[in-house]
Amino acid sequence: MKKIPRMMAAALLAALLLSMVGCGSSDGKTHLTFQIWDTAQQPGMQAMCDAYTAQHPDVVIDVQIVSWNEYWTKLEAAAESNTLPDIFWMHTNQLLYYADFGMLADVTDLYDDVEGGYYQNHFSEISLGNISGSNGRYYGVPKDKDNGVLVYNKEMFDQAGVAYPNDDWTWDDLVDASQKIYDATGNYGYLAYLDDQLGYWSYVYQNGGYILSADKTTSGFNQPGGKEAMEFYIGMQKEDWCPDQTFFTQNGAGSTFWSEKGAMFMEGSWSLLGAIENNPQMDGKWDIAKLPKAPNPVHTDESLDQDGRACMSNGLCYSTGAHGKHKDIALDVIKFFGTEEAQLIQGRSGAAIPAYLGTEESWREAWDKFDYKIDVDCIFEQFDYAIQVPYNSASPHWKSQVLDVLNQIYAGNQDVDAGLEKIENIVNTETANKLAGN
Amino acid sequence: MKSSKASKFLVYFFLILGSLIMIFPFLWMFFTSFKTVPESMSIPATIFPSAFRLDKYKEVLNNLPFVKLYWNTILLVFFRVVCAVAFSSMAGYAFAKLKFRGKGLLFTVILVQMSLPSQIFLIPQYQMVAKMGMANTIFALVFPGIVSAFGVFFLRQTYMSIPDEVGEAAYLDGCNQWQTFYKVMFPLTGTSVAALTIFTAVFAYGDLMWPQIVNNDVTKFTLSAGLATLRGMNTTDFPMLMAGSLLAMLPMIVLYLIFQRQFVEGIAGTGGK
Amino acid sequence: MKKPRLSAAERREENWGWIMVAPTIIGLFILNIWPFIQTIYTSFCEHLGFGHYKFIGVQNYVDMFGNTEFWKATWNTVWFCVLTVPVGMILALFVAMLLNTKVKFKGGFRTIFFLPLVCAPAAIAMVWQWIFNGQYGILNQILGTNIQWITNPKTAVLAVAIVSVWSSVGYDAVLLLAGLQNIPRTLYEANSIDGAGKIRQFFTITVPMISPSLFSVLIMRLMASMKVYDLIYMMSDDTNPAMADMQSLMYLFYRSSFVAGDRGYGSAIVIWTVGLILLVTLIQFWGQKKWVTYDI
Repeated sequence: MKKIPRMMAAALLAALLLSMVGCGSSDGKTHLTFQIWDTAQQPGMQAMCDAYTAQHPDVVIDVQIVSWNEYWTKLEAAAESNTLPDIFWMHTNQLLYYADFGMLADVTDLYDDVEGGYYQNHFSEISLGNISGSNGRYYGVPKDKDNGVLVYNKEMFDQAGVAYPNDDWTWDDLVDASQKIYDATGNYGYLAYLDDQLGYWSYVYQNGGYILSADKTTSGFNQPGGKEAMEFYIGMQKEDWCPDQTFFTQNGAGSTFWSEKGAMFMEGSWSLLGAIENNPQMDGKWDIAKLPKAPNPVHTDESLDQDGRACMSNGLCYSTGAHGKHKDIALDVIKFFGTEEAQLIQGRSGAAIPAYLGTEESWREAWDKFDYKIDVDCIFEQFDYAIQVPYNSASPHWKSQVLDVLNQIYAGNQDVDAGLEKIENIVNTETANKLAGN
Repeated sequence: MKSSKASKFLVYFFLILGSLIMIFPFLWMFFTSFKTVPESMSIPATIFPSAFRLDKYKEVLNNLPFVKLYWNTILLVFFRVVCAVAFSSMAGYAFAKLKFRGKGLLFTVILVQMSLPSQIFLIPQYQMVAKMGMANTIFALVFPGIVSAFGVFFLRQTYMSIPDEVGEAAYLDGCNQWQTFYKVMFPLTGTSVAALTIFTAVFAYGDLMWPQIVNNDVTKFTLSAGLATLRGMNTTDFPMLMAGSLLAMLPMIVLYLIFQRQFVEGIAGTGGK
Repeated sequence: MKKPRLSAAERREENWGWIMVAPTIIGLFILNIWPFIQTIYTSFCEHLGFGHYKFIGVQNYVDMFGNTEFWKATWNTVWFCVLTVPVGMILALFVAMLLNTKVKFKGGFRTIFFLPLVCAPAAIAMVWQWIFNGQYGILNQILGTNIQWITNPKTAVLAVAIVSVWSSVGYDAVLLLAGLQNIPRTLYEANSIDGAGKIRQFFTITVPMISPSLFSVLIMRLMASMKVYDLIYMMSDDTNPAMADMQSLMYLFYRSSFVAGDRGYGSAIVIWTVGLILLVTLIQFWGQKKWVTYDI
């Protein structure tokens, strides 16, 4: 009969207990949170934090992983309520949006006491592009760099009697090999799935086109180079040797390759260590190569003259909030993250290829533990002609709309040419709106 | 006689057919979880795995902290149920049996809340929790479910079906409204409270978005949110996803099979009492 | 105007009423109603970023009503409701009636039908995604078809609806079964002496007697279906070519507000969705007077 009061007492007690859990521990140390989205990189990030806290015993850093799907929703909500994590990874797609709104701490002068021109001396132009706000100030410390490579199945090439991809490979060779492999083995050739950095972007730039002009104000989806590349890339799914987008949505290109049903696909350098670890059954059967180049690139004023070569390179950075509670300590931590020492720890752990010039090669050490060796060199060589991933401050607004139209094109509801025109309009309009608004 | 035999046959036929449809996905999940990826993609599909390999289970246990997930889910369900039952019983009784000004308007609040999609609360509620400094805790998981509009709506229906005379008799015996409620009326709603308990538990257990938004760490997730993370890690390794799903469901299914009478009858009611 | 004076007892009753609804009402106001009021406001605003808004009047609604994607999502949602609510309820009632006959292993059958309820929807979505897989899925192999269930615009909503009905039919059936078991046998006996057929019995006794249960199930199912989101979130992803033909209103809201950051537009979609739900609910509550009987 006394059920209700007892229950309420229990509920109250529970609420009390729970609220205790929430309170931070009071050990006199400064507790920082460090938010990242990639589980695979946690050990590397932890190692860097450990190196910092070894020198600063009064600081505790808690590395927290938030999956990519929720990362930006949460980060924006946190920024709004001034509860940003003390340190977090920033992505090029979002940096301008956050920086222009004054959400990120300005780190331009962070290393002034160490050496003048620290950033210029130790990071590439692409890295600096990735950390720059619209006003040219820096809002993050460069973390890493990446690019996409062609992953291929040697066994299938052998069976079809096709030579492995080499530096001179063009799109024509890609198509030709795909057809031969499909005819000889019944397996798919190149898996041309819908993706930006690991899909059509590099094709557009290889062909002398552009996604965003050099000043980032106009789009080139429907300009000669871009249009031709898009038509080629989308058109590949019409070939019998390439599955269509409905297939990729359901089965993924990676799974198709690793279950030996497809001969080639483009993969990000950041996924390769995981791939070799998770697919021991493929040891000896696969390798990587540089991306094939465009056979007849278009030349216009906007074209980057690269002889048909291009790969897209992105890089993350470490940022902290402009109004964080522990801003000074957080700045000190990310300052450390940008040093040679920390970048070497990152590289050796295999987390990612460090952004700090001269430490890149440390990433190779992470491969030592695997008996099977792949051609890691080609990743480093590709940086010679890498292009910064094309984002501007309006990209959070146009990105999903562009994807909508591409989905319609792939679904066959939208004619390619009209679709590209539409996409170009979307990007131009959103960009113009954004520029007018600021 | 004949027609009753035929109808009996039909009843069994449909029940068995239905059961097969209900069971099949679970069997398929079970068999797939032992396959290798290439095996799962073979055409024509093999029903049975070539061997009962535990590789995928090991993989998934490495990827997700299952013990933590179970524990968090249990805590979440427990606190949500206690809160929902206590508060909803009170409000449900008041709405069904008491006269007070503003009743119609306040009940409209309940109905309006029920028609609102929970996704629109994600950000405001996250900000409330963050401002309290409670993000990434068990409390944060429980927070949006402290009160239940559905519970009020559901229990109000129950209290309405109890004849007014029951309450009036208690009132004449000298009980005040509170005593009438918890000594006389509340004990009569056992069946509905059990149903609400199960409903609340199921809803809390299934909630996907909230745990992922409000808590950072997989170790502070519930089973459902953990599974969503697993899918995010590898969208197409179905044997691993199936192994993870089975591990997430197994304790719940075992509990359910042991207590299935209580479980189902919580909702089904205990007959014409 | 003269206010009727309350007696002391009435005043006490009123106080108790307020006290007893207070926790729920206060909780709902803070957790749900206030955020909803903000949503109404933001639907008239442009989101500049990080919670800063600019009032732009009805522009979001103008944009919304002029957008084919929005109408498509509305249609998808309505179509999903049509597929799940009537079909789901008829199936649930059918199952409940089967379980209400004298069969062996009744408990066993009931357990099986109820099973999806105790399973995480995330797990259910994943196994069905696998069953529906166009290349390696078992369903196509059983049926001997080659249907891209989840990525074909024509079948995507159907596929989600099948999963939804599959996972809720047992729960609904058990609720209805409770109603069925409360019907005194004597009612049927008296009725069969009158010589009424089974079908007439169904409409003159069964349906009216379980109408309160039917009504609860109907309202619950309808609201859930209008707000469908989780299943689509789990069964699809943003490179699905059938996305436009599959996404529900709430999924469109999610993509507009969370992915594209266009919260004003997203809020307008929410207001539209809630309006639809309220409309349908009001019709139901008005309609219930015609067919739901509470006094047994």
